[in-house]
Amino acid sequence: MKKRNVRAEKTITFCNGPGCMHLESTKIIDALKQELQKRDLSYKDVKITISGCLGMCEQGPIVIVNPGYIIYGKVKLSDVSQIVEEHIIKNKPVVRLTIEQNHLYNRFFRVFGDIDFFGKQMRIALRNCGIIDPENIDDYLSVRGYEALAKVLTDLTPEQVIEQIKISGLRGRGGAGFPTGLKWEFTRKAAGDVKYVICNADEGDPGAFMDRSAIEGDPHSVIEGIIIGGYAIGATEGKVYIRAEYPLAIKRLEKAIKDAREHGFLGKNILGTDFSFDIEIRLGAGAFVCGEETALIHSIEGSRGMPRPRPPFPSVSGLFGKPTLINNVETWTNIPVIILDGAKWFSSIGTEKSKGTKVFAVAGKIKNTGLVEVPMGTTLREIVYDIGGGIPNGKKFKAIQTGGPSGGCLPEAYLDVPVDYESLSKAGSIMGSGGMIVIDEDSCMVNIARFFLEFTQNESCGKCTPCREGTKRMLEILTRIVEGKGQSGDIEKLERLGETIKKASLCGLGQSAPNPVLSTIKNFRHEYEEHINDKKCTAGECQALLSYTISDKCIGCTACKKVCPVNAITGQVKNKHIIDQQKCIKCGQCVQACKFDAIVKG
Amino acid sequence: MATPIEKIKTKRAEALNRIISKGYLSTKRVYVGMATCEIAAGSKEVMAVFKENINNGLTDVYLSQKGCAGRCNLEPTVEVIEEGKIPVKYGKVTPDMAKEIIEKHLKKGEIIDEWVIK
Ligand SMILES: Cc1cc2nc3c(=O)[nH]c(=O)nc-3n(C[C@H](O)[C@H](O)[C@H](O)COP(=O)(O)O)c2cc1C
Repeated sequence: MKKRNVRAEKTITFCNGPGCMHLESTKIIDALKQELQKRDLSYKDVKITISGCLGMCEQGPIVIVNPGYIIYGKVKLSDVSQIVEEHIIKNKPVVRLTIEQNHLYNRFFRVFGDIDFFGKQMRIALRNCGIIDPENIDDYLSVRGYEALAKVLTDLTPEQVIEQIKISGLRGRGGAGFPTGLKWEFTRKAAGDVKYVICNADEGDPGAFMDRSAIEGDPHSVIEGIIIGGYAIGATEGKVYIRAEYPLAIKRLEKAIKDAREHGFLGKNILGTDFSFDIEIRLGAGAFVCGEETALIHSIEGSRGMPRPRPPFPSVSGLFGKPTLINNVETWTNIPVIILDGAKWFSSIGTEKSKGTKVFAVAGKIKNTGLVEVPMGTTLREIVYDIGGGIPNGKKFKAIQTGGPSGGCLPEAYLDVPVDYESLSKAGSIMGSGGMIVIDEDSCMVNIARFFLEFTQNESCGKCTPCREGTKRMLEILTRIVEGKGQSGDIEKLERLGETIKKASLCGLGQSAPNPVLSTIKNFRHEYEEHINDKKCTAGECQALLSYTISDKCIGCTACKKVCPVNAITGQVKNKHIIDQQKCIKCGQCVQACKFDAIVKG
Repeated sequence: MATPIEKIKTKRAEALNRIISKGYLSTKRVYVGMATCEIAAGSKEVMAVFKENINNGLTDVYLSQKGCAGRCNLEPTVEVIEEGKIPVKYGKVTPDMAKEIIEKHLKKGEIIDEWVIK
């Protein structure tokens, strides 16, 4: 019954949430396995899967049978044989145990729940991505689309909506994690005749693509969230700021806005009420700094996309000097769920201070790359191994980089850190927008730090000196280290510069730019020392620090000699060859040409 | 006058009717991933194969596009969904594989196990 990676006719899913597992779940699983064996049912008939927390803790232990997505609650050991006998064998669900749980995310698991990669996730923000046609508003309507908006307009005052968002505990998914309900309240209470709502879809972090995916896969969820936000703060205009590099997302958003207008969800007198609101798309040119809220606002106003000091915060003085509510795409997509599934329910998911789920774009040296949405509090280890499938090719895990160019690299010792805003920053990294790169033993940490700093240095807008000059100097030092020209004292210089840039920069770009460097120095100092003192890169990534030599395995076939572009290899046929270290440009072509593993890279 | 909630319920019923009139209750529903990432992996060509076959008389199939579910290294993905059965998810689908999915799975009900994402 252990066998994974099979497709079975039925799956039985157990919730692995802390609530359910504390109850009798493990015993029930054992009983189920015995019961199935007794009836000669194999793994081809029934597959047992373990899900992440399903947010139904009060009804636990939860057992779900697919197809049909029949949910059983408060299952007892004594119920197991009846479930097998009646539901699994005779296809008749055990009605007395079924519970009604019409959560918006259920639909995703009806389709994808039996695959471990998806089954262990919890899809709230991306609940419809991959299961509906994003260009057909009928598909969205059929999954209770715009019902949250209708509910808000029918039953709730703006203040009550804000109260719900506050109760939910939702925090901004764009990076800083500011409590969303509070932000809405500030903007509502700010004095101003005109107010604006902005959706930040700039998504500048290299490696993060959940916002694109959300808009391309389910644009109406974003739109519905924005309209509710507009109602709550008293705005009549919303803007979606999206980078021009996302043409398909823009096209789908345009279509969705048009369809929403035709159905009366946007425009004058929405759904027959006296609330009017419309959304306009504004294109960004794709500069990282334009994702920063004040720079973004300048960009919409037609000025150069540069940040300004805060306060005043946009909630008081934002677009055209008016109170402005700005939230990230993923933040917006959570709103309809909070309204329909309940703020209390939403706040039951996650940790004490971080509620709900977070989407991560998991990439790098990991078997299953992709978008992973998990409840806050899931550990890095669960993401890398249970969902991600671990490191491919039998390589060793070395570090995980979270938060993109503003984040840090955490070594193995931190794998049990739960992902939530506080825990990640305590560990020396950040949640950021949810980029997550897995690094194995073949990657050089100095080089990775250099890669991210090169990005932020390039994207620095130049307005403030610490960021403009400081990142440039840091990059120079890192470059000379990876080129084998590092000097003693360089590490200390990087630390001093980094701390200063963090403290003195104007916006979040500079304030976080040194993080990849500082965190790798903290956790992988020996790699920096090795590069500087021994001119060595153990991971074998820094070309300049490599040397290629030929060992006694060489039989003198001359293959390497023929491919060497600079004629650095000499030797007679059937005699061991030699590489002239002065001439060698370390291109590595000889290694590939050698059929006898005779060329040693070191 | 109808409240917004009442209005949305009517709208939902109408939407469902429209979807059903397009054949949603056909025996098999086929969803092809059509996000930027899926398209880059070749899903447009896969979609074209299904469309062509439907134009040429393949029946009892409801074809739809969908966004990306987030399983990057297995794209393009195609789902075949039948009432009462666990949806079948195919990964790394090429136009040739799409043809075979049509011949075996859609026409004869034979699931091609080796291509299924598990
Ligand atoms: C350099 C920089 C880049 C940023 N890029 C983005 C971005 O691409 N998307 C985003 O939503 N927020 C981004 N932010 C955060 C925004 O300034 C802002 O905090 C966010 O849009 C607020 O929305 P939230 O509360 O929903 O997270 C960036 C911040 C900085 C400093």
